[in-house]
Amino acid sequence: MTSPTAASSHRLERSITRLGRAGLATVQAVADVRTWAPHVIPQMRRLGVDSVPIALFIAIFTGIVLSLLSKYIFTGAVPLYFVGALVGKTVMMELGPVLTGLVLAGRVGANIAAELGTMRVTEQVDALETLAYNPRSYLVVPRVLAGVFMFPVVTALAMGVGVAAGWVTAINLLDLSTLEFVKGLRLFYRFKDIWFGLLKAASFGAAVTLAGCVQGLGTRGGAEGVGRNTTRAVVLGCEAILVLDAFWALVLL
Amino acid sequence: MKRRNEFLVGLVLLLSVSAVVAGALWLSEADIGRREALHVARFRTVGGLTPGAPVTFRGVRVGRVEAIRLADQFVEADLKVYQGVDLPGKPAVIAASQSLFGEWAANIVPRDQPQDDPNVRVMLAETARPGGDRWPGATLPDVGQLTAQAGRIATDIAAVAARVQETFDSSAVASLRQSIKDFAGIASKLEHFTTAETGRLTEVTDNIDLASASVLGASEHMQATLARVDSATADGQLQEILGNTRAGTGDLRQASADLREVLASLRAQETSLVRTLIAADSALSRIQSGQGTIGLLSKDPALYNESIETLQEMRRLIADIQMNPRKYFKFSVF
Repeated sequence: MTSPTAASSHRLERSITRLGRAGLATVQAVADVRTWAPHVIPQMRRLGVDSVPIALFIAIFTGIVLSLLSKYIFTGAVPLYFVGALVGKTVMMELGPVLTGLVLAGRVGANIAAELGTMRVTEQVDALETLAYNPRSYLVVPRVLAGVFMFPVVTALAMGVGVAAGWVTAINLLDLSTLEFVKGLRLFYRFKDIWFGLLKAASFGAAVTLAGCVQGLGTRGGAEGVGRNTTRAVVLGCEAILVLDAFWALVLL
Repeated sequence: MKRRNEFLVGLVLLLSVSAVVAGALWLSEADIGRREALHVARFRTVGGLTPGAPVTFRGVRVGRVEAIRLADQFVEADLKVYQGVDLPGKPAVIAASQSLFGEWAANIVPRDQPQDDPNVRVMLAETARPGGDRWPGATLPDVGQLTAQAGRIATDIAAVAARVQETFDSSAVASLRQSIKDFAGIASKLEHFTTAETGRLTEVTDNIDLASASVLGASEHMQATLARVDSATADGQLQEILGNTRAGTGDLRQASADLREVLASLRAQETSLVRTLIAADSALSRIQSGQGTIGLLSKDPALYNESIETLQEMRRLIADIQMNPRKYFKFSVF
């Protein structure tokens, strides 16, 4: 029988050891540039470029809805040019990064988890290790780097398209002129609005891809395990996005 | 496949970076080639002024707030102002809310420009006191402060209302109820009085009716008279009367003028008469006092008698001379 204090101490020691091992493995994986570098561009294509259409689709409708909603909210009380301010600020700081992140969490996180989970259950990961490849370096690092780079890229495009959609909607459906919309757009604009959104998107990219990789490489039990871990990866990615969103708002605003 | 991946990723990256850079420059109205001069303004508090807020001069945007920091007991704001803007020689900065919705701007004004708000004057003097190359700054209250002030006023009004409510207690209610009862009694008496006076008023009204009828009759007579006058006018009689009247008036005017002349001469005669009477009075006074011949005559009867006798003898002598002129006069030539 061990005392509770000794058990807690043992658990803490084990956790710290695990953390140190993971850190060392990460450093080793990142340092192995020759292994992961050739795979970054293909992953950027798969995770980023291929996600642009769905991200822009979401952004267009977000811009339209925001424009109509702000008109509904401001009617009679606030000057209508504030539609531009609301659309711009909201798309750049919040809805652009978060909605894009959530969409990519579904698409990218599930993709990564399913791919790596299948590799795990079909022992392809073990084969890589047998061939002296570091699976983290070969599979995880390119995906995470691609996520960190491409999430802000896709988010930036979504921001532009979302604001443009709100602009077109305001001109055509809200009896608002371009000058009024742009006046509102510029009224509260700060450069921080953009980099704040892009920084959040980069962190979302890291979180979503890491969740996908962790859940994928941790898959056990065949196809059922792949499905379960894929679902977990998506849920975990979405939760991470919302937590990080609150964290950045707390830290940077 | 590899080249295609690289091309697509590069293209998306390029588009994304272009969108971000172009959008940021466009939204911030930045001008790449424009040079800016850095000035520092000193405030006691900056209110709602934030980095990135516009700097305006006479309402025109001439720069932006670059940074804000604490400095001793003041706050310093770095203002980036476009070069080439002709700023006042001694500038000051007033941070103020631009609208009800919270956007703030730093407005550059001449330091010697008179400020209406005494608080602004005090703040400018205070921030100018340390000297140096810092521009003095002041802050106008924002909408929130005004609303807070309004809230305080509302609280005060609520306190007053509460005190009124406390004063208006049950005894006040009882007094008010008694007052209402008294008022009801007064109203009842007033009703009786009104009822009593109504009869008199009715009589007065009847009299007024009668008087009105009389006036009506008089009016009818007057109307008939006027009708007759009107008919007389129609026959030329009135014209004739008026002509006669005009002639009579002329005669009267002439008589009046004559009378005025007579009165004037009478006034002159009166003067001479007065003088005559004065002279006569003087003469009579002297006569009465026995002065002069007449006085002596009136005072001395012997003299009067002798004078009478002398006159009688004079008459007899004259008669004798008339009868016998040769007795008294002789005419001869040589």
